[in-house]
Amino acid sequence: MSEALLHVEGVSKTFESVRAVNDVSFNVGRGEILGFLGPNGAGKTTTIRMILGIFRPDSGTIHCALDGASGEVPKERTGYLPEERGLYSDAKVLELLVYFGELKGLTRTEARQRARTWLERFDLLDWASKRVEKLSKGMQQKIQFTASILHRPDLVVLDEPFSGLDPVNQNLLHEIIGGLRKDGTAILLSSHRMNLVEALCDRIFLIHNGRRVLYGDLEEIKESHGEHAVAMRFTGDGSELAQLPGVANLRLEEGRATFTLERHVGPDAFVRNLPESIEIRALSVDRPPLHDIFVRTIEGRVS
Amino acid sequence: MKLGKVIRWELNQSLRSKQFVIVTILIPVVIGLVAFVASRAIGGKVDASSEPPPPFIIGMFLAFILFLGAFMSGVMTMYGVMKEKQSRVVEMMMSSVSAWELMCGKLIGLGLAGLVQVIVWSAIVYVGAGLFIPISLASLTLVHWITYPLYFILGYLFIASIFGTVGASIKDIHSGGAVGLAGAIPYLPMMFIWLILDKPDTLWIRIAGFFPPFVPGVMLLRIGATPIASEGTRFVPTWEIALSLVSLALGTLLMMRFATKVFEVGMLMTGKSASLRELWRWGRSKA
Repeated sequence: MSEALLHVEGVSKTFESVRAVNDVSFNVGRGEILGFLGPNGAGKTTTIRMILGIFRPDSGTIHCALDGASGEVPKERTGYLPEERGLYSDAKVLELLVYFGELKGLTRTEARQRARTWLERFDLLDWASKRVEKLSKGMQQKIQFTASILHRPDLVVLDEPFSGLDPVNQNLLHEIIGGLRKDGTAILLSSHRMNLVEALCDRIFLIHNGRRVLYGDLEEIKESHGEHAVAMRFTGDGSELAQLPGVANLRLEEGRATFTLERHVGPDAFVRNLPESIEIRALSVDRPPLHDIFVRTIEGRVS
Repeated sequence: MKLGKVIRWELNQSLRSKQFVIVTILIPVVIGLVAFVASRAIGGKVDASSEPPPPFIIGMFLAFILFLGAFMSGVMTMYGVMKEKQSRVVEMMMSSVSAWELMCGKLIGLGLAGLVQVIVWSAIVYVGAGLFIPISLASLTLVHWITYPLYFILGYLFIASIFGTVGASIKDIHSGGAVGLAGAIPYLPMMFIWLILDKPDTLWIRIAGFFPPFVPGVMLLRIGATPIASEGTRFVPTWEIALSLVSLALGTLLMMRFATKVFEVGMLMTGKSASLRELWRWGRSKA
Protein backbone atom coordinates (compact mmCIF):
# COMPACT_ATOMS: atom_id res chain seq x y z
CA MET A 1 0.00 0.00 0.00
CA SER A 2 1.39 3.36 -0.97
CA GLU A 3 0.67 6.77 0.52
CA ALA A 4 -2.91 7.09 1.80
CA LEU A 5 -5.35 8.87 -0.50
CA LEU A 6 -8.31 9.55 1.77
CA HIS A 7 -7.80 10.89 5.25
CA VAL A 8 -10.65 11.01 7.73
CA GLU A 9 -9.55 12.69 10.94
CA GLY A 10 -11.55 13.03 14.16
CA VAL A 11 -14.87 13.39 12.39
CA SER A 12 -18.11 13.84 14.35
CA LYS A 13 -21.68 14.54 13.29
CA THR A 14 -24.78 15.14 15.39
CA PHE A 15 -28.38 15.10 14.18
CA GLU A 16 -30.99 16.65 16.44
CA SER A 17 -29.09 15.66 19.59
CA VAL A 18 -28.22 12.16 18.31
CA ARG A 19 -24.52 11.67 17.91
CA ALA A 20 -24.39 9.67 14.69
CA VAL A 21 -20.63 9.70 14.28
CA ASN A 22 -18.22 10.30 17.13
CA ASP A 23 -14.55 11.13 16.62
CA VAL A 24 -13.90 8.71 13.77
CA SER A 25 -10.49 8.55 12.06
CA PHE A 26 -9.15 6.30 9.35
CA ASN A 27 -7.53 6.41 5.96
CA VAL A 28 -7.69 4.55 2.68
CA GLY A 29 -4.65 4.11 0.46
CA ARG A 30 -4.33 3.78 -3.29
CA GLY A 31 -4.81 0.21 -4.40
CA GLU A 32 -6.33 -0.71 -1.08
CA ILE A 33 -9.76 -2.00 -0.12
CA LEU A 34 -10.89 -0.94 3.32
CA GLY A 35 -13.82 -2.92 4.68
CA PHE A 36 -16.18 -0.51 6.41
CA LEU A 37 -18.30 -2.57 8.76
CA GLY A 38 -20.82 -2.08 11.51
CA PRO A 39 -24.30 -3.05 12.63
CA ASN A 40 -27.33 -1.25 11.22
CA GLY A 41 -27.53 2.31 12.43
CA ALA A 42 -23.91 2.40 13.58
CA GLY A 43 -23.09 5.52 11.58
CA LYS A 44 -21.76 3.98 8.38
CA THR A 45 -24.00 5.81 5.93
CA THR A 46 -23.50 9.12 7.73
CA THR A 47 -19.73 8.71 7.50
CA ILE A 48 -19.94 7.76 3.83
CA ARG A 49 -22.11 10.78 3.08
CA MET A 50 -19.61 13.05 4.76
CA ILE A 51 -16.75 11.57 2.74
CA LEU A 52 -18.70 12.19 -0.46
CA GLY A 53 -19.46 15.76 0.53
CA ILE A 54 -23.21 15.22 0.76
CA PHE A 55 -22.96 16.97 4.09
CA ARG A 56 -20.28 18.43 6.27
CA PRO A 57 -18.98 17.04 9.56
CA ASP A 58 -19.62 19.13 12.68
CA SER A 59 -15.97 18.72 13.60
CA GLY A 60 -12.91 16.96 12.23
CA THR A 61 -11.60 16.99 8.69
CA ILE A 62 -11.88 14.84 5.60
CA HIS A 63 -9.37 15.40 2.89
CA CYS A 64 -7.81 13.78 -0.12
CA ALA A 65 -4.19 13.64 -1.24
CA LEU A 66 -4.37 14.02 -5.01
CA ASP A 67 -1.80 15.20 -7.53
CA GLY A 68 0.65 15.89 -4.75
CA ALA A 69 -1.67 18.32 -3.01
CA SER A 70 -4.05 17.79 -0.13
CA GLY A 71 -7.52 19.27 -0.17
CA GLU A 72 -11.23 18.70 -0.07
CA VAL A 73 -12.53 15.56 -1.69
CA PRO A 74 -13.39 16.58 -5.27
CA LYS A 75 -16.74 15.22 -6.43
CA GLU A 76 -15.42 14.54 -9.94
CA ARG A 77 -12.88 12.07 -8.60
CA THR A 78 -15.10 10.01 -6.36
CA GLY A 79 -17.58 7.33 -7.26
CA TYR A 80 -20.46 6.12 -5.17
CA LEU A 81 -22.59 3.03 -5.26
CA PRO A 82 -25.38 3.62 -2.74
CA GLU A 83 -26.91 0.72 -0.88
CA GLU A 84 -30.38 1.31 -2.22
CA ARG A 85 -30.92 1.61 -5.96
CA GLY A 86 -30.40 5.21 -7.00
CA LEU A 87 -31.44 5.41 -10.64
CA TYR A 88 -34.14 7.37 -12.46
CA SER A 89 -36.50 4.51 -13.20
CA ASP A 90 -38.12 6.09 -16.27
CA ALA A 91 -34.83 7.04 -17.94
CA LYS A 92 -33.14 4.96 -20.60
CA VAL A 93 -30.13 2.95 -19.51
CA LEU A 94 -27.45 4.38 -21.78
CA GLU A 95 -28.71 7.95 -21.52
CA LEU A 96 -28.71 7.73 -17.74
CA LEU A 97 -25.14 6.43 -17.68
CA VAL A 98 -24.04 9.21 -20.01
CA TYR A 99 -25.76 11.78 -17.79
CA PHE A 100 -24.10 10.51 -14.62
CA GLY A 101 -20.77 10.39 -16.47
CA GLU A 102 -21.18 13.97 -17.66
CA LEU A 103 -21.96 15.17 -14.14
CA LYS A 104 -18.63 13.66 -13.13
CA GLY A 105 -16.83 15.70 -15.75
CA LEU A 106 -16.71 13.37 -18.76
CA THR A 107 -17.58 14.66 -22.19
CA ARG A 108 -20.66 13.27 -23.87
CA THR A 109 -18.68 11.14 -26.32
CA GLU A 110 -16.31 9.82 -23.68
CA ALA A 111 -19.18 8.93 -21.41
CA ARG A 112 -21.08 7.18 -24.19
CA GLN A 113 -18.05 5.18 -25.30
CA ARG A 114 -17.19 4.03 -21.82
CA ALA A 115 -20.78 3.25 -20.96
CA ARG A 116 -21.06 1.04 -24.02
CA THR A 117 -17.85 -0.79 -23.11
CA TRP A 118 -19.15 -1.50 -19.63
CA LEU A 119 -22.58 -2.53 -20.85
CA GLU A 120 -20.88 -4.99 -23.12
CA ARG A 121 -18.75 -6.35 -20.33
CA PHE A 122 -21.86 -6.81 -18.20
CA ASP A 123 -23.70 -8.35 -21.13
CA LEU A 124 -26.32 -5.59 -21.05
CA LEU A 125 -25.74 -3.96 -24.43
CA ASP A 126 -29.14 -5.14 -25.66
CA TRP A 127 -30.73 -3.16 -22.84
CA ALA A 128 -29.00 0.13 -23.63
CA SER A 129 -32.11 1.86 -24.93
CA LYS A 130 -34.58 0.24 -22.53
CA ARG A 131 -36.01 2.04 -19.55
CA VAL A 132 -34.32 1.33 -16.24
CA GLU A 133 -37.55 0.07 -14.69
CA LYS A 134 -37.65 -2.82 -17.20
CA LEU A 135 -34.41 -4.23 -15.81
CA SER A 136 -34.17 -6.87 -13.12
CA LYS A 137 -32.74 -6.04 -9.74
CA GLY A 138 -29.40 -7.61 -10.56
CA MET A 139 -29.17 -5.77 -13.88
CA GLN A 140 -29.93 -2.47 -12.15
CA GLN A 141 -27.20 -3.23 -9.65
CA LYS A 142 -24.74 -3.63 -12.53
CA ILE A 143 -25.89 -0.33 -14.02
CA GLN A 144 -25.50 1.31 -10.63
CA PHE A 145 -22.01 -0.06 -10.34
CA THR A 146 -21.11 1.16 -13.81
CA ALA A 147 -22.34 4.63 -12.92
CA SER A 148 -20.05 4.69 -9.91
CA ILE A 149 -16.85 3.93 -11.83
CA LEU A 150 -17.48 5.24 -15.36
CA HIS A 151 -15.31 8.31 -14.79
CA ARG A 152 -12.42 6.23 -13.37
CA PRO A 153 -12.51 7.83 -9.94
CA ASP A 154 -9.56 7.79 -7.57
CA LEU A 155 -11.82 6.92 -4.67
CA VAL A 156 -14.82 4.58 -4.86
CA VAL A 157 -17.33 3.97 -2.11
CA LEU A 158 -19.21 0.73 -2.61
CA ASP A 159 -22.16 0.04 -0.32
CA GLU A 160 -23.33 -3.58 -0.61
CA PRO A 161 -22.09 -3.90 -4.21
CA PHE A 162 -23.07 -7.57 -4.49
CA SER A 163 -26.68 -7.23 -3.46
CA GLY A 164 -29.08 -8.85 -5.89
CA LEU A 165 -26.34 -10.48 -7.99
CA ASP A 166 -26.27 -14.17 -8.85
CA PRO A 167 -23.05 -16.16 -8.20
CA VAL A 168 -21.81 -15.75 -11.78
CA ASN A 169 -22.19 -11.99 -11.64
CA GLN A 170 -20.76 -11.91 -8.13
CA ASN A 171 -17.62 -13.48 -9.54
CA LEU A 172 -17.53 -11.00 -12.38
CA LEU A 173 -17.89 -8.05 -10.03
CA HIS A 174 -15.31 -9.53 -7.69
CA GLU A 175 -12.89 -9.67 -10.58
CA ILE A 176 -13.65 -6.10 -11.64
CA ILE A 177 -13.19 -4.74 -8.13
CA GLY A 178 -9.87 -6.60 -7.99
CA GLY A 179 -8.94 -4.87 -11.25
CA LEU A 180 -9.76 -1.46 -9.81
CA ARG A 181 -7.53 -2.15 -6.84
CA LYS A 182 -4.73 -3.18 -9.16
CA ASP A 183 -5.10 0.10 -11.05
CA GLY A 184 -4.53 1.99 -7.83
CA THR A 185 -8.09 2.96 -6.93
CA ALA A 186 -8.77 3.53 -3.26
CA ILE A 187 -11.87 1.54 -2.34
CA LEU A 188 -14.13 1.81 0.67
CA LEU A 189 -16.32 -1.28 0.79
CA SER A 190 -19.27 -1.44 3.12
CA SER A 191 -21.05 -4.76 3.45
CA HIS A 192 -22.75 -7.12 5.84
CA ARG A 193 -21.48 -10.14 3.94
CA MET A 194 -18.46 -11.12 5.95
CA ASN A 195 -17.26 -13.79 3.53
CA LEU A 196 -16.97 -11.18 0.79
CA VAL A 197 -15.25 -8.72 3.06
CA GLU A 198 -12.77 -11.46 3.98
CA ALA A 199 -12.15 -12.30 0.36
CA LEU A 200 -11.66 -8.70 -0.79
CA CYS A 201 -10.48 -6.39 1.97
CA ASP A 202 -6.98 -5.58 3.06
CA ARG A 203 -7.97 -3.80 6.22
CA ILE A 204 -11.23 -3.31 8.08
CA PHE A 205 -12.84 -0.58 10.13
CA LEU A 206 -15.61 -1.60 12.49
CA ILE A 207 -17.91 1.15 13.73
CA HIS A 208 -20.48 0.82 16.51
CA ASN A 209 -22.67 3.54 18.01
CA GLY A 210 -20.75 6.07 15.98
CA ARG A 211 -17.38 5.06 17.40
CA ARG A 212 -14.50 2.99 16.17
CA VAL A 213 -14.29 -0.43 17.79
CA LEU A 214 -11.85 -2.24 15.51
CA TYR A 215 -9.45 -0.91 12.91
CA GLY A 216 -6.52 -2.52 11.24
CA ASP A 217 -5.07 -5.16 9.00
CA LEU A 218 -7.56 -8.00 8.48
CA GLU A 219 -4.90 -10.68 8.95
CA GLU A 220 -3.60 -9.10 12.11
CA ILE A 221 -7.06 -8.71 13.56
CA LYS A 222 -7.70 -12.36 12.92
CA GLU A 223 -4.37 -13.24 14.47
CA SER A 224 -5.14 -11.24 17.58
CA HIS A 225 -8.54 -12.88 17.93
CA GLY A 226 -6.49 -16.07 18.31
CA GLU A 227 -8.98 -18.89 18.79
CA HIS A 228 -9.00 -21.22 15.82
CA ALA A 229 -12.16 -22.89 14.75
CA VAL A 230 -11.96 -26.64 14.19
CA ALA A 231 -14.42 -28.88 12.41
CA MET A 232 -13.82 -32.60 12.07
CA ARG A 233 -15.45 -35.87 11.02
CA PHE A 234 -14.24 -39.13 12.50
CA THR A 235 -15.15 -42.67 13.41
CA GLY A 236 -15.50 -43.47 17.07
CA ASP A 237 -17.42 -41.79 19.85
CA GLY A 238 -14.93 -38.92 20.13
CA SER A 239 -15.03 -38.79 23.90
CA GLU A 240 -11.23 -38.34 23.91
CA LEU A 241 -11.63 -34.92 22.35
CA ALA A 242 -12.91 -33.33 25.53
CA GLN A 243 -9.72 -34.37 27.33
CA LEU A 244 -7.39 -32.73 24.83
CA PRO A 245 -5.63 -29.54 25.95
CA GLY A 246 -7.03 -26.29 24.60
CA VAL A 247 -10.34 -27.66 23.34
CA ALA A 248 -13.26 -25.36 24.18
CA ASN A 249 -16.89 -24.95 23.16
CA LEU A 250 -16.98 -28.57 22.06
CA ARG A 251 -20.09 -29.73 20.25
CA LEU A 252 -20.26 -33.43 19.55
CA GLU A 253 -22.66 -35.09 17.20
CA GLU A 254 -22.63 -38.52 15.63
CA GLY A 255 -19.16 -38.70 14.06
CA ARG A 256 -18.85 -34.93 13.89
CA ALA A 257 -17.29 -32.34 16.15
CA THR A 258 -16.86 -28.58 16.13
CA PHE A 259 -14.87 -26.68 18.74
CA THR A 260 -12.48 -23.81 19.20
CA LEU A 261 -8.86 -23.92 20.23
CA GLU A 262 -7.80 -21.77 23.14
CA ARG A 263 -5.19 -19.22 22.31
CA HIS A 264 -2.23 -20.99 23.86
CA VAL A 265 -2.73 -24.04 21.65
CA GLY A 266 -1.85 -23.44 18.04
CA PRO A 267 -3.18 -25.59 15.21
CA ASP A 268 0.25 -27.10 14.84
CA ALA A 269 0.43 -28.37 18.42
CA PHE A 270 -3.15 -29.54 18.27
CA VAL A 271 -2.66 -31.72 15.22
CA ARG A 272 0.51 -33.28 16.60
CA ASN A 273 -1.21 -34.17 19.86
CA LEU A 274 -4.21 -35.87 18.30
CA PRO A 275 -4.50 -39.38 19.77
CA GLU A 276 -4.27 -42.24 17.31
CA SER A 277 -7.52 -43.69 18.61
CA ILE A 278 -9.44 -41.07 16.69
CA GLU A 279 -9.73 -42.05 13.07
CA ILE A 280 -10.02 -38.75 11.18
CA ARG A 281 -12.07 -38.57 7.98
CA ALA A 282 -12.03 -34.83 7.47
CA LEU A 283 -10.44 -32.00 9.35
CA SER A 284 -10.42 -28.25 8.97
CA VAL A 285 -8.65 -25.80 11.21
CA ASP A 286 -9.38 -22.19 10.49
CA ARG A 287 -8.84 -18.87 12.04
CA PRO A 288 -12.04 -17.40 13.41
CA PRO A 289 -14.26 -16.17 10.62
CA LEU A 290 -14.77 -12.43 10.49
CA HIS A 291 -18.41 -13.11 11.16
CA ASP A 292 -17.56 -14.39 14.66
CA ILE A 293 -15.16 -11.53 15.36
CA PHE A 294 -17.86 -9.06 14.32
CA VAL A 295 -20.53 -10.65 16.50
CA ARG A 296 -18.26 -11.09 19.49
CA THR A 297 -16.94 -7.55 19.33
CA ILE A 298 -20.35 -5.97 19.01
CA GLU A 299 -21.98 -8.18 21.64
CA GLY A 300 -19.08 -7.60 23.98
CA ARG A 301 -19.74 -3.88 23.65
CA VAL A 302 -23.44 -4.19 24.26
CA SER A 303 -23.14 -6.12 27.53
CA MET B 1 -21.51 23.80 -16.33
CA LYS B 2 -23.11 21.07 -14.25
CA LEU B 3 -26.17 23.22 -13.73
CA GLY B 4 -26.62 23.34 -17.49
CA LYS B 5 -26.46 19.57 -17.69
CA VAL B 6 -29.03 19.13 -14.95
CA ILE B 7 -31.31 21.64 -16.67
CA ARG B 8 -30.98 19.90 -20.01
CA TRP B 9 -31.66 16.50 -18.46
CA GLU B 10 -34.76 17.65 -16.58
CA LEU B 11 -36.07 19.46 -19.66
CA ASN B 12 -35.53 16.46 -21.92
CA GLN B 13 -37.01 13.99 -19.48
CA SER B 14 -40.17 16.02 -18.99
CA LEU B 15 -40.65 16.93 -22.65
CA ARG B 16 -40.60 13.22 -23.41
CA SER B 17 -42.95 12.10 -20.68
CA LYS B 18 -46.45 11.05 -21.65
CA GLN B 19 -48.15 13.26 -19.09
CA PHE B 20 -46.50 16.30 -20.58
CA VAL B 21 -47.64 15.62 -24.12
CA ILE B 22 -51.18 14.87 -22.96
CA VAL B 23 -51.48 18.01 -20.84
CA THR B 24 -49.94 20.26 -23.49
CA ILE B 25 -52.29 19.14 -26.24
CA LEU B 26 -55.38 18.16 -24.32
CA ILE B 27 -55.93 21.20 -22.11
CA PRO B 28 -56.22 23.83 -24.89
CA VAL B 29 -58.41 21.50 -26.92
CA VAL B 30 -60.81 21.06 -24.01
CA ILE B 31 -60.80 24.78 -23.23
CA GLY B 32 -61.33 25.59 -26.88
CA LEU B 33 -64.29 23.25 -27.10
CA VAL B 34 -65.88 24.73 -23.98
CA ALA B 35 -65.38 28.25 -25.31
CA PHE B 36 -66.82 27.27 -28.66
CA VAL B 37 -69.91 25.70 -27.11
CA ALA B 38 -70.32 28.67 -24.77
CA SER B 39 -70.10 31.18 -27.58
CA ARG B 40 -72.71 29.22 -29.55
CA ALA B 41 -74.97 29.18 -26.48
CA ILE B 42 -74.94 32.94 -26.06
CA GLY B 43 -75.62 33.59 -29.69
CA GLY B 44 -72.14 33.37 -31.09
CA LYS B 45 -72.39 36.65 -32.94
CA VAL B 46 -69.03 37.69 -34.17
CA ASP B 47 -68.54 41.35 -34.64
CA ALA B 48 -65.98 41.56 -37.39
CA SER B 49 -65.39 45.24 -36.87
CA SER B 50 -64.52 44.90 -33.18
CA GLU B 51 -61.41 46.52 -31.84
CA PRO B 52 -58.26 44.47 -31.22
CA PRO B 53 -58.30 43.12 -27.65
CA PRO B 54 -57.14 45.68 -25.10
CA PRO B 55 -54.03 44.85 -23.06
CA PHE B 56 -56.00 43.82 -20.02
CA ILE B 57 -57.37 40.82 -21.93
CA ILE B 58 -53.85 39.78 -22.77
CA GLY B 59 -52.69 40.45 -19.20
CA MET B 60 -55.55 38.38 -17.92
CA PHE B 61 -54.81 35.63 -20.37
CA LEU B 62 -51.14 35.63 -19.35
CA ALA B 63 -52.02 35.57 -15.68
CA PHE B 64 -54.33 32.63 -16.22
CA ILE B 65 -51.83 30.77 -18.32
CA LEU B 66 -49.04 31.55 -15.87
CA PHE B 67 -50.98 30.12 -12.99
CA LEU B 68 -52.13 27.11 -14.92
CA GLY B 69 -48.66 26.41 -16.31
CA ALA B 70 -46.91 27.10 -13.03
CA PHE B 71 -49.33 24.80 -11.30
CA MET B 72 -48.66 22.01 -13.80
CA SER B 73 -44.90 22.25 -13.70
CA GLY B 74 -45.00 23.04 -9.99
CA VAL B 75 -46.73 19.76 -9.39
CA MET B 76 -44.22 18.06 -11.67
CA THR B 77 -41.37 19.61 -9.67
CA MET B 78 -42.97 18.59 -6.41
CA TYR B 79 -43.47 15.08 -7.67
CA GLY B 80 -39.94 14.90 -9.08
CA VAL B 81 -38.30 16.08 -5.87
CA MET B 82 -40.40 13.71 -3.82
CA LYS B 83 -39.63 10.76 -6.07
CA GLU B 84 -35.96 11.59 -6.03
CA LYS B 85 -36.07 11.56 -2.27
CA GLN B 86 -37.88 8.25 -2.13
CA SER B 87 -35.84 6.44 -4.77
CA ARG B 88 -32.55 7.58 -3.27
CA VAL B 89 -31.34 8.84 -6.65
CA VAL B 90 -30.69 11.85 -4.54
CA GLU B 91 -27.61 10.21 -3.05
CA MET B 92 -26.22 9.54 -6.51
CA MET B 93 -26.94 13.11 -7.55
CA MET B 94 -25.59 14.70 -4.41
CA SER B 95 -22.31 12.85 -4.76
CA SER B 96 -21.93 14.63 -8.12
CA VAL B 97 -23.59 18.04 -7.81
CA SER B 98 -24.50 20.43 -5.00
CA ALA B 99 -28.04 20.64 -3.63
CA TRP B 100 -28.30 24.13 -5.11
CA GLU B 101 -27.34 22.92 -8.58
CA LEU B 102 -29.79 20.05 -8.32
CA MET B 103 -32.68 22.20 -7.10
CA CYS B 104 -32.03 25.04 -9.56
CA GLY B 105 -31.58 22.54 -12.37
CA LYS B 106 -34.93 20.99 -11.60
CA LEU B 107 -36.76 24.29 -11.22
CA ILE B 108 -35.31 25.83 -14.36
CA GLY B 109 -35.46 22.65 -16.45
CA LEU B 110 -39.05 21.96 -15.57
CA GLY B 111 -39.78 25.67 -15.88
CA LEU B 112 -38.48 25.63 -19.46
CA ALA B 113 -40.65 22.61 -20.18
CA GLY B 114 -43.55 24.63 -18.77
CA LEU B 115 -42.61 27.53 -21.01
CA VAL B 116 -42.79 25.26 -24.04
CA GLN B 117 -46.22 24.26 -22.82
CA VAL B 118 -47.33 27.85 -22.42
CA ILE B 119 -46.07 28.79 -25.88
CA VAL B 120 -47.98 25.90 -27.40
CA TRP B 121 -51.13 26.95 -25.55
CA SER B 122 -50.75 30.57 -26.57
CA ALA B 123 -50.21 29.60 -30.19
CA ILE B 124 -53.28 27.40 -30.16
CA VAL B 125 -55.37 30.13 -28.58
CA TYR B 126 -54.01 32.76 -30.96
CA VAL B 127 -54.73 30.71 -34.04
CA GLY B 128 -57.92 29.12 -32.74
CA ALA B 129 -59.53 32.31 -31.47
CA GLY B 130 -58.33 34.13 -34.57
CA LEU B 131 -60.77 32.07 -36.57
CA PHE B 132 -63.68 33.77 -34.82
CA ILE B 133 -62.46 37.21 -33.78
CA PRO B 134 -59.70 39.42 -35.10
CA ILE B 135 -56.74 39.21 -32.78
CA SER B 136 -53.90 41.61 -32.93
CA LEU B 137 -51.22 42.45 -30.46
CA ALA B 138 -51.16 46.04 -31.70
CA SER B 139 -52.49 47.44 -28.45
CA LEU B 140 -49.42 46.23 -26.55
CA THR B 141 -46.83 48.89 -25.86
CA LEU B 142 -43.15 48.52 -25.14
CA VAL B 143 -43.90 48.48 -21.42
CA HIS B 144 -46.01 45.39 -21.86
CA TRP B 145 -43.44 43.63 -23.99
CA ILE B 146 -40.77 44.20 -21.37
CA THR B 147 -42.73 43.63 -18.19
CA TYR B 148 -44.97 40.71 -19.09
CA PRO B 149 -42.13 38.24 -19.77
CA LEU B 150 -40.28 39.31 -16.61
CA TYR B 151 -43.28 38.92 -14.33
CA PHE B 152 -44.10 35.73 -16.10
CA ILE B 153 -40.72 34.03 -15.78
CA LEU B 154 -39.96 35.20 -12.25
CA GLY B 155 -43.47 34.39 -11.14
CA TYR B 156 -43.07 30.99 -12.62
CA LEU B 157 -39.85 30.25 -10.75
CA PHE B 158 -41.33 31.60 -7.53
CA ILE B 159 -44.37 29.37 -7.68
CA ALA B 160 -42.35 26.34 -8.79
CA SER B 161 -39.95 26.76 -5.84
CA ILE B 162 -42.87 26.75 -3.43
CA PHE B 163 -43.95 23.44 -4.90
CA GLY B 164 -40.34 22.23 -4.79
CA THR B 165 -40.22 23.05 -1.08
CA VAL B 166 -43.42 21.15 -0.51
CA GLY B 167 -42.05 18.17 -2.44
CA ALA B 168 -38.85 18.20 -0.40
CA SER B 169 -40.73 18.29 2.88
CA ILE B 170 -43.29 15.56 2.43
CA LYS B 171 -42.97 11.81 2.64
CA ASP B 172 -45.40 10.85 -0.11
CA ILE B 173 -48.11 12.29 -2.28
CA HIS B 174 -50.80 11.71 0.35
CA SER B 175 -49.22 13.86 3.00
CA GLY B 176 -49.34 17.41 1.69
CA GLY B 177 -51.28 18.84 4.61
CA ALA B 178 -50.82 22.38 5.81
CA VAL B 179 -47.53 22.72 4.00
CA GLY B 180 -49.19 21.96 0.69
CA LEU B 181 -51.48 24.95 1.10
CA ALA B 182 -48.50 27.28 0.80
CA GLY B 183 -48.62 26.62 -2.92
CA ALA B 184 -51.98 28.37 -3.08
CA ILE B 185 -50.78 31.77 -1.78
CA PRO B 186 -49.69 33.24 -5.13
CA TYR B 187 -53.11 32.35 -6.48
CA LEU B 188 -54.96 34.62 -4.07
CA PRO B 189 -54.95 37.72 -6.33
CA MET B 190 -56.96 35.77 -8.88
CA MET B 191 -59.86 35.77 -6.45
CA PHE B 192 -59.93 39.54 -6.65
CA ILE B 193 -59.52 39.67 -10.39
CA TRP B 194 -62.54 41.90 -11.01
CA LEU B 195 -61.58 44.32 -8.27
CA ILE B 196 -58.09 44.62 -9.72
CA LEU B 197 -59.33 45.10 -13.27
CA ASP B 198 -61.95 47.60 -12.17
CA LYS B 199 -59.83 49.82 -9.91
CA PRO B 200 -56.19 48.90 -10.50
CA ASP B 201 -54.89 51.94 -8.62
CA THR B 202 -56.55 51.24 -5.28
CA LEU B 203 -54.08 51.58 -2.44
CA TRP B 204 -54.30 48.01 -1.12
CA ILE B 205 -53.81 46.61 -4.59
CA ARG B 206 -50.77 48.81 -5.09
CA ILE B 207 -49.33 47.60 -1.79
CA ALA B 208 -50.07 43.95 -2.57
CA GLY B 209 -48.15 44.47 -5.79
CA PHE B 210 -44.88 44.74 -3.85
CA PHE B 211 -45.32 41.55 -1.87
CA PRO B 212 -43.45 38.76 -3.72
CA PRO B 213 -46.10 36.02 -3.70
CA PHE B 214 -48.72 38.44 -5.03
CA VAL B 215 -46.54 40.30 -7.51
CA PRO B 216 -47.14 38.15 -10.59
CA GLY B 217 -50.91 37.95 -10.17
CA VAL B 218 -51.48 41.59 -9.20
CA MET B 219 -49.03 43.18 -11.62
CA LEU B 220 -49.93 41.21 -14.73
CA LEU B 221 -53.52 42.29 -14.23
CA ARG B 222 -52.74 45.84 -13.12
CA ILE B 223 -50.41 46.76 -15.94
CA GLY B 224 -52.89 45.47 -18.46
CA ALA B 225 -55.87 47.17 -16.85
CA THR B 226 -54.43 50.59 -16.02
CA PRO B 227 -54.61 52.32 -19.40
CA ILE B 228 -58.31 51.76 -19.79
CA ALA B 229 -59.46 51.98 -16.21
CA SER B 230 -57.66 54.95 -14.76
CA GLU B 231 -58.12 58.38 -16.03
CA GLY B 232 -55.26 60.40 -14.58
CA THR B 233 -52.26 58.17 -15.09
CA ARG B 234 -51.96 56.12 -18.23
CA PHE B 235 -49.43 53.69 -16.89
CA VAL B 236 -48.43 52.15 -13.62
CA PRO B 237 -45.58 54.39 -12.38
CA THR B 238 -42.20 53.09 -13.48
CA TRP B 239 -40.84 53.04 -9.94
CA GLU B 240 -43.68 50.75 -8.88
CA ILE B 241 -42.91 48.36 -11.71
CA ALA B 242 -39.20 48.42 -10.89
CA LEU B 243 -39.77 47.93 -7.17
CA SER B 244 -42.18 45.06 -7.70
CA LEU B 245 -39.74 43.36 -10.07
CA VAL B 246 -36.85 43.73 -7.63
CA SER B 247 -39.05 42.45 -4.84
CA LEU B 248 -40.16 39.47 -6.91
CA ALA B 249 -36.60 38.69 -8.02
CA LEU B 250 -35.33 38.75 -4.42
CA GLY B 251 -38.33 36.76 -3.26
CA THR B 252 -37.70 34.17 -5.95
CA LEU B 253 -34.04 33.85 -5.03
CA LEU B 254 -34.92 33.48 -1.35
CA MET B 255 -37.60 30.95 -2.13
CA MET B 256 -35.17 28.92 -4.22
CA ARG B 257 -32.60 28.99 -1.45
CA PHE B 258 -35.25 28.00 1.05
CA ALA B 259 -36.31 25.09 -1.18
CA THR B 260 -32.67 23.98 -1.44
CA LYS B 261 -32.18 24.03 2.32
CA VAL B 262 -35.37 22.12 2.98
CA PHE B 263 -34.30 19.66 0.33
CA GLU B 264 -30.89 19.19 1.93
CA VAL B 265 -32.33 18.44 5.34
CA GLY B 266 -35.46 16.71 4.10
CA MET B 267 -33.66 14.17 1.96
CA LEU B 268 -32.33 12.49 5.09
CA MET B 269 -35.74 12.27 6.68
CA THR B 270 -37.41 9.87 4.29
CA GLY B 271 -39.65 8.48 7.00
CA LYS B 272 -41.69 11.56 7.84
CA SER B 273 -43.21 14.74 6.52
CA ALA B 274 -42.29 18.11 7.99
CA SER B 275 -44.68 20.24 9.99
CA LEU B 276 -44.73 23.97 9.27
CA ARG B 277 -42.52 24.65 12.26
CA GLU B 278 -39.99 22.00 11.20
CA LEU B 279 -40.06 23.34 7.69
CA TRP B 280 -39.09 26.74 8.99
CA ARG B 281 -36.23 25.23 10.98
CA TRP B 282 -35.02 23.09 8.06
CA GLY B 283 -35.10 26.04 5.73
CA ARG B 284 -32.77 28.04 7.90
CA SER B 285 -30.43 25.27 9.03
CA LYS B 286 -26.87 24.86 7.94
CA ALA B 287 -26.22 21.70 5.99
